[in-house]
This record gives sequence, C-alpha cells and structure tokens, in this order.
Amino acid sequence: MDTLNELMGGFAAAMTWQNLLFAFLGCLLGTIIGVLPGIGPVAGVALLIPLTMNLDATGAIIMLCAIFYGTAYGGTITSVLLNTPGEAASAITTIDGYAMTKVGKAGAALTIAAVGSFVGGTIATIGLVAAAKPLGELGLLVGPPEFFALMVVGISLLVALAGKSMVKAVISGALGLLIAMVGIDPVAGAPRFTFGMDRLLDGVSFVAVIVGVFGLSELLSHRKETATPTVHAPNMRALLPTGKEWRRSAPAMARGTGIGFGLGLIPGMTGSVSSLLAYGAEKKFSRHRSQLGKGAIEGVAGPETANNAHANAALIPLFTLGIPASPTIAVLMGAFLQQGLTPGPTLFTEHSEIAWAIIASLFIGNLLLLVLNVPLVGLWTSILRVPSTILTPLILLFMVIGAYTINFSVFDVFVMIGFGLLGLALRHLDIPLAPMVLTLVLGPLMERSLRESLEISQGDFGIFTSRPISAVLIGLGILIVFSPLLKFRKPKALNEDPET
Amino acid sequence: MTTESLITKPESAIRVAPSVLVGIGAFAAVGVYVLVGSVELNLWTSLGPGPGLFPFAMGAVLVAMAVLWLVQELRRPSETAEGVDRGLVVAVVLSLTILAALMDLLGFQLSMFLFLMYHLRLRGRRSWVSSLITALAGSVGAFYAFNYGLNVTLPVSAFPLLNMIGL
Repeated sequence: MDTLNELMGGFAAAMTWQNLLFAFLGCLLGTIIGVLPGIGPVAGVALLIPLTMNLDATGAIIMLCAIFYGTAYGGTITSVLLNTPGEAASAITTIDGYAMTKVGKAGAALTIAAVGSFVGGTIATIGLVAAAKPLGELGLLVGPPEFFALMVVGISLLVALAGKSMVKAVISGALGLLIAMVGIDPVAGAPRFTFGMDRLLDGVSFVAVIVGVFGLSELLSHRKETATPTVHAPNMRALLPTGKEWRRSAPAMARGTGIGFGLGLIPGMTGSVSSLLAYGAEKKFSRHRSQLGKGAIEGVAGPETANNAHANAALIPLFTLGIPASPTIAVLMGAFLQQGLTPGPTLFTEHSEIAWAIIASLFIGNLLLLVLNVPLVGLWTSILRVPSTILTPLILLFMVIGAYTINFSVFDVFVMIGFGLLGLALRHLDIPLAPMVLTLVLGPLMERSLRESLEISQGDFGIFTSRPISAVLIGLGILIVFSPLLKFRKPKALNEDPET
Repeated sequence: MTTESLITKPESAIRVAPSVLVGIGAFAAVGVYVLVGSVELNLWTSLGPGPGLFPFAMGAVLVAMAVLWLVQELRRPSETAEGVDRGLVVAVVLSLTILAALMDLLGFQLSMFLFLMYHLRLRGRRSWVSSLITALAGSVGAFYAFNYGLNVTLPVSAFPLLNMIGL
C-alpha cells in the first residue's frame, strides 16, 4: 500500500493549477506536433526543451512527457482524415482509418482511436506504477559494470533492429558516441576534440544536434511542395461510434494493449513496430478480418491502442533502470538530465516526490487528451489547412529560437544548421538516425560507467564477465549483435519500420 | 532484390554510387582522425583507462564499419535515395546562416522579420498582406511573447540607433 500512498501524494502534487496547466499545454503542443506532418516527436520534444528550462523540474518534465504522448494521439488525426500519417507510428492506421473517412465514418474512427489510446496509455501507466518499486529496488543492486552492460544491451538491440543494414546502424551509433565525447572528459577533465574552441569545452548541445539532425534535415529533404489538402472536420454527431463499433473495438483494444505494452518494454522497439504488429494481430485473430483494409474499425482500434500503450510502457525502463527504449525517450532522458534529475532507480529514492508527480500526471494527461482530442477535431483540421509556404518558415522560426535559447548563443544555431546538413547526408546514405540519438544521450553515462568499472577492477576487463548480472547482459548483447550470423530472422514488420 | 543480386557480377563495382563512396570515405577519415587524436589523449594512465580509450574504440569501430560497408557495396551496390531539392536546401541553409550571423548585430526582431519575409514573400509567393502579418507576428510578436510570457530573452540589436527604437 506504500506505492498507493506515494501515488496519491503524486496526484496531489500534479493537481496544482500550474502543473495541470503544464500538462494541458504539453498535450496541446504534442497534438499539434503530431498533426503536423513536417515535424516528428523526436525533434518536437527536443525543440521544446529550451522553453521548459526556466520552469521547475516537475513542471518541465510533466510538460515534456505530455508532449511525448500527445504526439501519439495527434498522428492519428492526419492518418484518418488525409491518408498521410502525422507520425510514423500511425502509418498503418491510414489503411482502415482513411477507408472509413471515405464512407463518412471519420468521426467514429477518430473517437475509437482516442478511446483506444486512452485505454492503452492508462493500462501501461498502471504497469509503470506496479513495476516502479520492485524494479527500482532491483536497479539499486546495479553497480557500474552492470549499468554499462545494461546500456550495451539497449544499444545493441537498437542497432540490430534499426533499418536494413547493421553496418550503417553501428556507424550511426558510433557517430552519436563521438559527438557526445566532444568537450571536457568526465573523469580526467581533459578537453577532447574541441578543435581549440572554448565554446566546445562544455560539449555540443544535444538539443541543437537533435533539432538539426531530426528537424531541420527533415525539412531539407522535402521534395516538391505539395498542394494543401482539403480537409473537412467531421461534425459532432458523426463523432459517436455505434454500439456495434464499440463491441467490435473492445477485443482489438485488448490485443493492442498487450502488444504495445510488451514491446514498449524492450529497448530498440519503436511505436511503429507495435502498431504494425497490432494490425497483423487483427488480420489473424479478428472476427471481421475479411473486412480489414476496407474500413474495419478493428484496423484503427488495434494499432492506435498499441501505439499509446507502447509510448507509456516505454517510460518503464526509463524510470526504473535509466535506459531509454526509443529515440524520443532518449530525448526525454536528455531533458531529465538537464533538469539535474538522473532517471533510474535513484530517481525514486532521491526525488521520490517528483517521480510520483510525473507518474500521476501521466494519468491526468491521458484523460486530458481524451477530452481534448475528440471535441477539438475541428481545430486540429484547421491547422492542416495552413499552407506549407507559411508553415515551413514558422517551423524554422521555432528551430532557431529553440537552438538559440539553450545557451543564449548564436553558436548553437550554427551547430543546428551544420547538423541539419549532416542529417540530410545520413538520410541520403540511408543511415538510420535512431541509434545516433540514443548513443548521444547515453554516451557520457556509458563512458563513465565503463571507466569506473575498470578503475574498480584496476584495469581488468574481466570485471564484466566475473559478475553474474553483467556477464549475462554482456552475453545477451553479443548474441543480439551476432544474431544475423545465426540466421535469426527479424519479423518482417521491423524492416518496414518507417521510424528507423 | 534477390534476383538482382544474383545477376550482378563483380563488374558491377563501378555501379557504386559516388555519393556512397564519398560517405564511406568521410566516415573512414573521421575514424582515422579520431584514432590518431585519441592516442594523443592517452589511452591508459596509471589510474586505469585514460580519456582516449573510449574515443579510440569508437574510431576503430568507425573505420571497421566503413571497410565492411565498402565490401558490401562492392558485392551488391545499394540503390541510392532519390535526390534532394537542391534549391530548397541552398535557400534554407544559406538564409539560416545569414540569419544566425546577423542576429546579434541587427537584433532578433529585425533579422527574423527579414528572414520570414524572404521565405514567405519571395520563396513562398504569399501576398504582401499575409507575408507582413505573419512575419511581424513571428518576429516582433515572438520577441515579446518569449520575453514576457516565458522569461526567455532574445537578442536585441548591437547598434544603438536600432536599439533605441526597440529592436
């Protein structure tokens, strides 16, 4: 009952009007980012980090978390109404969602998607509450060698799962680690790769790097300016699904929650994989599988529920072990670090109130999104009517402000431009960007734990294999990296994952 | 894909796209640079691992992966992504660079106003009215919104004359 008490305390802290306002703003911004096709969740969250730096830690993290799962709701709207996914994770929803729009059932599809997202997100958050204590206690037994081994597993999973070529994924990961190493080294204090520039002693600002690599390069890689699509918001009466649609959605939501929750726990799995597999599950198990692809409600309910269950479940490894499971979570972790909070088991011992307030706000945020999303569909669709000739300059404006305000220096704007070009080159060479973000954030922590471990063992690398937990983890990491040689097939869905 | 790989014989080596070769070369070069740089940083000290150890490992990984990638490309060249809209890239990157260079001199409001006008009116062909309203909101409006709403100060002009009129 201890957990329940702390959760209640968390609710009390999250219910102050400021924190409610931050959650609300975060949900609003997240939905907008989700709706806008030009900017994804990774760049979106990174862009808004500077704006939250003057807030207190609780409020800032509440807002950024709300932005994070708000994007999962927002991406659906364009998938259903326009046949273009706002986020990669809702790409699969276009098939049945848009088919429903064509027969005038867009409102029902959107409502079911929002309810499914709420169900998935809430159940996953309950999972987080249940897992927090035991996993956190387990995490406290983890010393530097185990921590290092844990990060090795996380990164090797991401590398193995990302994109088509493991070679390219490793290059991406190594680049991220190298960028993270610029500046004063964390143990001996020697400046590394600063090219004699004082500016670089503190390292390259990760916000500027991520906004450049994910946001700017995305804008730069646009080909032809497409005509603004015509969208019509469904009217209120059309928003309510029929009783039959509810009954058909319920099992799909249950399957979606299971799939999203399970995969969300695994580092390297993105929300897209969950929604793709959830769609696959509907194709196999749904009673109306013959209608899938022609506007079946299950094709919306399953993937959308999975997507949100995944997003919320992915917070579990972050909160309890300090391991980010996806690129967006890695950016979120960066925000934690900038606020002076280290995610992981110590979060619950050192900053217990903040941690529980954030968890409580996840419940509130999911409820807010349910309430916000459906009635405001008209507002979201009007954002889509803004032509790209106005939208692109405004997104650039926010990128410049975001990059500038990290250190109040134009230097970071130049950094962002440079990394925008690097991102463009990487996209052109078909190198996945996800491993780079992860290693960029984890790099310093990984290096510190490696060097601390070697100092404990006085330089003997055997420390990683002589301690049971780290030996198992390192073995797992090696197995994952060499799995292609062992001819383990990855599920086909992973190769089609548009996020990596 | 599979049929193509069966057909392609060693002479397909020439088909490796130039941009891919440049990319591989660049990664290898960065890797070598890091290797050399990290040796200078000290791989090992009397206390244990030195500041150069971790970068050294990464440099080695980068070089090894570049070589592996080259081998893969020679065996089976990957199809390259479609080209980019060069006009767009040049316009955006150049205008951003000029904006960043001028921001401390002209102040946020004036430089951003010019930047937005360029993209809205010249590139976007919006009407004068729509361009002016959007550009003013994005420059002057954003300046005050950030200053008073979020406590985030954006730069003002370094020129006293511009400064005096509130820019």
